[in-house]
Amino acid sequence: MSRFLNFDTLALHAGQVVDPEFGARAAPIYQTTSYVFPDTDTASSIFNLERGGHAYSRITNPTVGVLEQRIAALEGGSAAVCTASGMAATFCAITAILGQGDHIVASTQMYGGNISLMKNTLPRFGITASFFDPTDTDACRAAIQDNTKLIYGELIGNPGLDILDLEAIGKIGADHNIPVMIDATFNTPYLCRCFDYGANMIVHSVTKWMGGHGVAIGGVVVDGGNFDWGATDKYPTITEPYAPFSGINLWEEFGPSAFATRIRAEAMRDIGPSMSPMNAFLLLQGIETLSLRMDKHMSNTMELLDYLSNHDQVSWVNHPSLPSHSSHELAKKYLPKGAGSIVSFGVEGGREAGKAFIENCELASHLANVGDAKTLIIHPATTTHSRIDADALVAAGITEDMVRLSVGLEDVADIKADFENGFRAAKRFAKG
Amino acid sequence: MGFRTRQIHAGVTPDPLTGSILTPIYQTTTYVQPSVDEYLSKGFTYSRSGNPTVKALELKLADLEGGVDCACFGTGMSAVLATMLAFLEAGKHAIVSDVAYGGTYRLSTKVLSRFGIDYTFADTSNPDDVANSVRDNTALILTETPANPTMKCSDIAAISEIANKAGAVHAVDNTFLTPYYQRPFELGADVSIHSTTKYMDGHNATVGGAVISNSDEHAEAVRFIQNSTGTIMSPQVAWLTLQGCKTLSVRMDAQSASAMAIAEYLEAHPKVEQVAYPGLKSFSQHELSSRQASGYGAMLWFEVKGGLAAGKKLMDNIELWSLAENLGSVESLITHPVTMTHADVEPEERARVGIIDGLVRASVGLEDTEDLIKALSDALDQV
Repeated sequence: MSRFLNFDTLALHAGQVVDPEFGARAAPIYQTTSYVFPDTDTASSIFNLERGGHAYSRITNPTVGVLEQRIAALEGGSAAVCTASGMAATFCAITAILGQGDHIVASTQMYGGNISLMKNTLPRFGITASFFDPTDTDACRAAIQDNTKLIYGELIGNPGLDILDLEAIGKIGADHNIPVMIDATFNTPYLCRCFDYGANMIVHSVTKWMGGHGVAIGGVVVDGGNFDWGATDKYPTITEPYAPFSGINLWEEFGPSAFATRIRAEAMRDIGPSMSPMNAFLLLQGIETLSLRMDKHMSNTMELLDYLSNHDQVSWVNHPSLPSHSSHELAKKYLPKGAGSIVSFGVEGGREAGKAFIENCELASHLANVGDAKTLIIHPATTTHSRIDADALVAAGITEDMVRLSVGLEDVADIKADFENGFRAAKRFAKG
Repeated sequence: MGFRTRQIHAGVTPDPLTGSILTPIYQTTTYVQPSVDEYLSKGFTYSRSGNPTVKALELKLADLEGGVDCACFGTGMSAVLATMLAFLEAGKHAIVSDVAYGGTYRLSTKVLSRFGIDYTFADTSNPDDVANSVRDNTALILTETPANPTMKCSDIAAISEIANKAGAVHAVDNTFLTPYYQRPFELGADVSIHSTTKYMDGHNATVGGAVISNSDEHAEAVRFIQNSTGTIMSPQVAWLTLQGCKTLSVRMDAQSASAMAIAEYLEAHPKVEQVAYPGLKSFSQHELSSRQASGYGAMLWFEVKGGLAAGKKLMDNIELWSLAENLGSVESLITHPVTMTHADVEPEERARVGIIDGLVRASVGLEDTEDLIKALSDALDQV
C-alpha cells in the first residue's frame, strides 16, 4: 500500500489496514472503553509506552487511530492525535510545550475562540501572548521575546482572510529555534500542505471542511516531525525525562513524533479531551471525498465572488482570490487550487442591512459553523467574535456590516437566487 | 452458566485484534476476501448476508433462548414476515392467535393473503379451538403469549403438541416475557419470535426483530429468507441491542415487580372497572401463566369506570407516563390500542377478541414504583 501515495488515494486508504479478522472493508467502529490484555507483561509495556497497543479509549482507540494516521498522511506529518474539538486540539498542542512564564506570538486574525484562549484563559496559567498583524511579517519577528516558545497563526486568517506568509514566518521560527504552529482548518491539506512551507505543527478543527458535513465535532494535532527539539533547552517537556513514564525521554525515544507522543501521554491521559469512535468514523467518511468537495467549494466560491463583485448592493467583497486583496500574491503562492471557501462582504446599508440580508436568506443557513456542505452565513460582530473588545474587532478585520459566507456545495444558481431575496430585503437600508 | 452471565457474555468474545472488550460496530457493506479460493473463509461477504456485529447479537439471542440459531431483522414485523415466508407458501394455511399484535393481523389479512396464503384466527387460549382449526394444509401455528394487548395466554406445550401432530411449525412470539421468563423451546415450540425493540433493547433506542429456531432445518429456512428478502438489522442497531441485553434480567425483574404493585393498586381503586395482569390471582389464566413462565412481565391493561371517555381523559391527563406506541422500555408508556396499535383490526374483530374500547394498555418502565402510582392516582382523580 505504501506504493500508492497520491492525495486522493491517501484520503481513501491511509491509516486503514483491512480488518484482518473478517475483512470488513470499512473501518470497524470500536465503540468500547477498554481492551482486554493477553497478559500482564503486554499490559505493562503498553502502559509504559514501550509498545503500541490499546488500553483505554481515552488514550487511544483503533477507529480514532485510523483517522489520526489518515490525517497525518494527508498533511505529510509524522503522527497525529485527534481530540474532541478543534479548541481542544489547540489547547493540548500549546500546553504540551508551554508552561508558566512562557510566551506565544500569534496572529491577530484568528478564530475568536483561539484569541480568547490566548488572551483570557492561558494567562491565568502564566502563559501570555503578543499578537501581530499577519500582513506584517516584521511585526512577528519584533514580537518575539526571550520567553517566546511558539509562533501561532491561521494560514487563512479568520475572518479578514489575510494569508500568512508561511515561508517567512517559518524562517523567523527557525532563526529563533521556535516552532511554528498553524491552524490549517480553512485550507485543509488539499489546498495547502503547510509542513512543506515551514510549519512544524498543524491543528485543525476537523468539524469543518475535513469532515465536511457538519455532523461531528472534532479536532486534530499533527506533528510535522521537522522541528529539532534538542537544539535548545527551551522545551523540557519534550527533551527532559518525563517522570510519570519512568523518566522516559520523549525526544530520544520518539524523535520525529516526540511532540505528538507528549500530547498522547499527557493531555490524553491527564486531561482526556478524546474524540469518540463514532465521530472518528463519521469524519473518516467525510475525508474520503475531501478533494471532490474542496474543488466544488472552490468553483462555487469563484462564481459567487464574480456575482457579489458585480452586485450594486455589495459595498465590498473580501477574498484572497480577488486581485484587490492584499494577500492575493501569497494566495497564488500557497493556495494555487483556491484560497478557501470563506468569503466576507459588506451589504450596502451597514449593520441593519446585513441583518436583513441574513434573515431573508432561506437556503443559506444562519449559523456559527463554517465548512459545511451546506452554505452558511453569519454576522461575526454579533456572534463568533462578540466576546472580544472593539479594538480587537478592528484588529481582526471585522466591520459591523460584514457578512461572513461559508460557500457550500449547492447548485450555485440556487445560492445566487437565495441571495437575491436577501438583497431585496436589505435594499431599504441602502443609501440613496 | 446462568442467565445473567449469559446475557452479558454469550456471543461476545473480546476482539482478537485489539482486545476491545465490546464487539466493534462493523458499519461496512462488504468484506475483502483473502483469495478466490478462500472466498468466505473468514465468514462474511456482504452485510446483507451477514455482519459480525449483527452476528454477535444473533449468537447471544440464540443462546438466551436456548435455540440453535437466530436471525435478526430490521423490525419485529420483518421477523414475523420472515417466519411466515419461511414456513408458508401459496396454498398453505396458518393458524394465528386471534389476539396477536395488530401489525401481525394486518400482515396476514392485508398482505400475505394476496399471495394465496389462508389464515384462521383462532382462540389460542383454548387448545381445542386450535386443534379444530387444523387443516390438511396447515403449515404454521403462530401464537403470542401473553398476547398484545389483551394479555390472553396460550398453552405453549399443548399447542406445540397439536402442531407436531399436524406436521406444522409452532412459532411463539415471546416478546412480552423474553427468554428470561419464558422459554418456548423447553415447552416444545419450534421457533421463537421477538421484537427486539421491546425488552431486548429496553431503552427506546432501536427497532429490530429476531427469529430463533430450535432446529437446523428451520434455521436454514429462516436464514434463506433473511438473505433473499434483505429485511436485515443494521450493525448500529445490533450494537445498541447487545448493550441492552446485558441488563435484561435486571430490568425485567424490576419492571415486573413494579407492574405487580401497580396492578394491585389499580385493582383496589374504586374508579377502575377491571385490571388484567397475569400475576393477579383474579387473572383468568393465572394458573397457566404461573406454570409456563417464571415471571409475569411488565405489561397490563385496565379499564376505567366510564369506559372509553374516562380512559381517554386519564391518558390525556396523566403525567410521567408517556402516551406512545412502543412497549418494554425503561420509560413507562401508556397506549390506547383501539386508536393506536390495533387501529387496523376491524371493530367487530376487536370486540370479538376482547379489545374493548376502554382498554388502556400500560407498559411499566423502570421509574420508581411510587412515582408511577402517584401519577396514575393523580390522573384517576381527574376522571
